[in-house]
Amino acid sequence: MPHLEIHDLTVSYEKHQPTLERFNLDVEQGELLSLLGPSGCGKTTTLRSVAGFIQADAGRISINGRDYTNLPPNQRDIGLVFQSYALFPHLTVFNNVAFGLRMRRIPKGEIYSRVTNALKMVGLEDFADRRPAQLSGGQQQRVALARATVIEPQVLLLDEPLSNLDAKLRVDMRQEIRRLQQQLGITTLYVTHDQVEAMSISDRVVVMNQGAIEQIGTPERIFAAPETVFVADFMGFDNRFSAAVESVQGDKLSVNWGGAPIDVRWRAKVGSPRPGARAEVFFRADNANLRAGADASGLAGLVILHTFHGNEVRYLVDTQVGEISILQDSAGQRFESGAAVTVQPQTQKWIAIVEEREPLA
Amino acid sequence: MVSRWMYISLVILYCFLLGPFIIIFMASFGANATMAFPPQGFTLDWFANVFETSQFIDSFWVSLQLALQSTMVSLIMGMPVAYALTRFQFAASGLVETVFSAPILVPGLVIGFAMLNFFVLLGDMHVMTGLFIGHTAILFPYSVRVISASLRNLDPYVEDAAVSLGANRLRGFLLVVLPNMQAGIAAAFVLGFITSFNNVPVSLFLSGPGVTTLPVSMLSYLEYYFDPTIAAVSTLLVIFTVLLVQTAERLLGLSQFV
Repeated sequence: MPHLEIHDLTVSYEKHQPTLERFNLDVEQGELLSLLGPSGCGKTTTLRSVAGFIQADAGRISINGRDYTNLPPNQRDIGLVFQSYALFPHLTVFNNVAFGLRMRRIPKGEIYSRVTNALKMVGLEDFADRRPAQLSGGQQQRVALARATVIEPQVLLLDEPLSNLDAKLRVDMRQEIRRLQQQLGITTLYVTHDQVEAMSISDRVVVMNQGAIEQIGTPERIFAAPETVFVADFMGFDNRFSAAVESVQGDKLSVNWGGAPIDVRWRAKVGSPRPGARAEVFFRADNANLRAGADASGLAGLVILHTFHGNEVRYLVDTQVGEISILQDSAGQRFESGAAVTVQPQTQKWIAIVEEREPLA
Repeated sequence: MVSRWMYISLVILYCFLLGPFIIIFMASFGANATMAFPPQGFTLDWFANVFETSQFIDSFWVSLQLALQSTMVSLIMGMPVAYALTRFQFAASGLVETVFSAPILVPGLVIGFAMLNFFVLLGDMHVMTGLFIGHTAILFPYSVRVISASLRNLDPYVEDAAVSLGANRLRGFLLVVLPNMQAGIAAAFVLGFITSFNNVPVSLFLSGPGVTTLPVSMLSYLEYYFDPTIAAVSTLLVIFTVLLVQTAERLLGLSQFV
């Protein structure tokens, strides 16, 4: 049985504008599951519903078999970490972390040992007497984590916990959160709009769009095999073009790309795509090669922009099918702007998504 | 050279701010029969005169009582309003804020005159009650504003955090929001107290036979006498105000906020 179950949850902020409609999600014991999507996709609504701050219009939320749907938020056994940390500014770090234990009327001695232990886990044992304002952003985030986990909640909820930190700290804290989560074995729901963050931290990722789930899967699966155009767009496929399906053989379909047929893996919402159906073909910038000069091994084009990224150089190439973004090893052959090149597709990593069965008009 | 000009303007500024007070202060110890500067001789007679003039003593107690009562009541009324204005966005919140700041924008004389007419219409009202209502009305917007400012600095999610940790809404407010309003409340208290204690225009209209506030009785004293007694009262008032602010600072940590 899943540890956290959300069944047919319907939530509307305003009348006739459901933010979530018959939303279903199961989270397993000890799993870290990310809710990933753009702002307004319903991920925070889901989180706040689980926390009890939003009253559902219909549906059921249960944790560990217990019905949480109508339980007030202060009686739910949940740890919550806010984007703004929401530390209590008038209390010391120790008293911030002790707050939840005091509410639970835990004996003094036990509070002391549990808070000390929680602070040790986040590496802040020497900061117990500081006020939140005397801490850096990363340290404040650690206090927020300690405060939410020290009560040993059934479920830990994190709402965009890293978006107020700078890039380097974000990577460190990501690992910190993952390590703590695995050490405690705590079932966790993690809300983010950053696909890299979601992939690196999660056991499973849920991509959400307009209050509905687009795809659920392991980070590897969602990265390599998006099932909808929305997911592919969101997961950072740099290049995209539309084409009519020419033929289908097994798990590959054939489309025309700049005059030549290419075979790519396909995903479709309903059944096998028919010839003539519209396919959206996606590929990442590193799924194609550049060669000097124009030849028959690929699509001819002109380099219009190149930017250096350390290990790689990113080229923007103008071709007859539009501008294509291509990433090349910076140690290999380099091309200047205006150079004539050939784009060689590495189609084994390309993906075609067919969302409509009707032929392309 | 910027710093040199800044120094000079600073000195000029201080002269304007403190100069009149220094003159009053020195005049209050002068032996002349009328106020004069520089004073001649030294005497404490004018201070003795203050304490022998029942008009000042009585009106001081009226002012003190009035300032304490109206400040307390305006704080108690202002807290929920400030909380609601900062925490909830509602359709009329802009309108409510404008209405609440009206007593700041409207000249005190107009308020005093309007209230006098209003109270006369209501009939036989005790002078003290009228003063209390008038002062509470002018202090209310200050307390709303100052407390709102302290609440705006507080992350609105701290209440949710307290609730998620097991506190109910009331405990969340008492344990997390109220302690963080403390500095704002203290600032509003001092500001309100001084505003009420120094108010002339509203008190002028609402004072009645036998009941008058200290600033109003000082004004009427000035109409008949020009001896340094009034300077002595002023000196005492300044000392009283400074002590009040100092005490509030010690007790409540005002400087964290202002």
